Amino acid sequence: MTLLLLPLTFVYSQGCSDAGICSLAGSFLTDAPSKNTVEFGNIFGAGEAAVKYYSPYLAYTRKFSNQFALSAKITYSLASGSFGKRGQFGDAYLTANYDWKSKRTLKWSTLLGMKFPFTQSNLKINGYSLPLDYQASLGTFDWIVGVTLKYENWDFNSALQLPVFNLNRNSYFKEYSGTNDFPTTNLFERRPDVLFRTTYTYKTKGKFTFKPNVLFLYHLGQDSAENYYGVREAIPGSEGLTINGNLIGSYAMNSTNSIDISLATPFVVRTIRPDGLTRSFTAAIIYKMSF
Amino acid sequence: MKKILGLLPLLLVFWSCEVEGDLTRTQAKSLDQGTAILKYSGNFSGTSGIAVIGQAKIYLEGNRYRVQLENFSISEGPDLKVYLSKGATPTEFVSLGNLTAATVYEIPKEVIVANYSHVLIHCQQYNHLYAIAPLNAN
Repeated sequence: MTLLLLPLTFVYSQGCSDAGICSLAGSFLTDAPSKNTVEFGNIFGAGEAAVKYYSPYLAYTRKFSNQFALSAKITYSLASGSFGKRGQFGDAYLTANYDWKSKRTLKWSTLLGMKFPFTQSNLKINGYSLPLDYQASLGTFDWIVGVTLKYENWDFNSALQLPVFNLNRNSYFKEYSGTNDFPTTNLFERRPDVLFRTTYTYKTKGKFTFKPNVLFLYHLGQDSAENYYGVREAIPGSEGLTINGNLIGSYAMNSTNSIDISLATPFVVRTIRPDGLTRSFTAAIIYKMSF
Repeated sequence: MKKILGLLPLLLVFWSCEVEGDLTRTQAKSLDQGTAILKYSGNFSGTSGIAVIGQAKIYLEGNRYRVQLENFSISEGPDLKVYLSKGATPTEFVSLGNLTAATVYEIPKEVIVANYSHVLIHCQQYNHLYAIAPLNAN
């Protein structure tokens, strides 16, 4: 029986409406057993100020050759906390993966992707503005580029997520919210992220595969927002490093169906995370089917 | 392919699209008419195609200034904000937050109210001015 090998999906504890690269940069491999793969994930997370998240997604991958595949993904996010409950579709992703031919044990693959937001990050409850922690999308159109090096049981990913068009129209002011839990993010502008991840894959003799991985994210510069005078201000402490640990356990039901369980938590976080990427813990269950 | 087609309706039901619960954080403010002193007031007029009625009044209550919109009604618009402005256009202003069912808007402590001459209703999302109320001292 051919063991099911599907693109990896990493759930990262920095979280969000999925800023993008963390879950996509792992999806480089085109070694799925069939031409089509559908993936349905349910991610549960806990963030700052006791905000809870439920973030399902649906992804479809079409393999056009042993080297080239295209993927589409749609995310949804439901946040509930002290402001109430708010849910909406988040982003759509289109990505192309290319595995470079190699006869050596070192294998390279590359990724090029785009993120399209479904919202302008200004969802409200009863007309009241909400911080980015409650928004389903960051409201940016992004380019995503990445490269993966595979060596025996090790994978090394590196990627860049670059906001190109800022559609963010968030209008949350800390000063009028009655709480200091979240910073002002009125007309928020986000800086790029770079990612580096190392993954070790261990396959048991049975149907289980385990993939512990460590994820380094660096936010390149300070995000900014407009204060109530309409003056743009950088948000000190919003740049910097996040380090996440993630363990994925995969069970192959047969050659075409599998279930993944993913647990993640951060070890190092930025001083302030105005973008709402504040998950302290995430747990995900993901079903994958190839045909 | 049949598997996918069978799976999709289930997923769509599962997601159930947009969810908006109730606001669980109280944000509405009110004015104590017994202690509030009227300092400035002005009548609203709409910009092209905008219907608006009502007044903007600025009260001093204790050591805080507050804007109250009275008998106020305006054409619907996306993402409307209340601005305290130094002119009839939103170039130098203080955003007082969203125009909501609430009628009282707190002015931040450090704002020198005497330097501002207008209350504006402005759509931030599309940068479109909706209504202007020039202020007169009372």
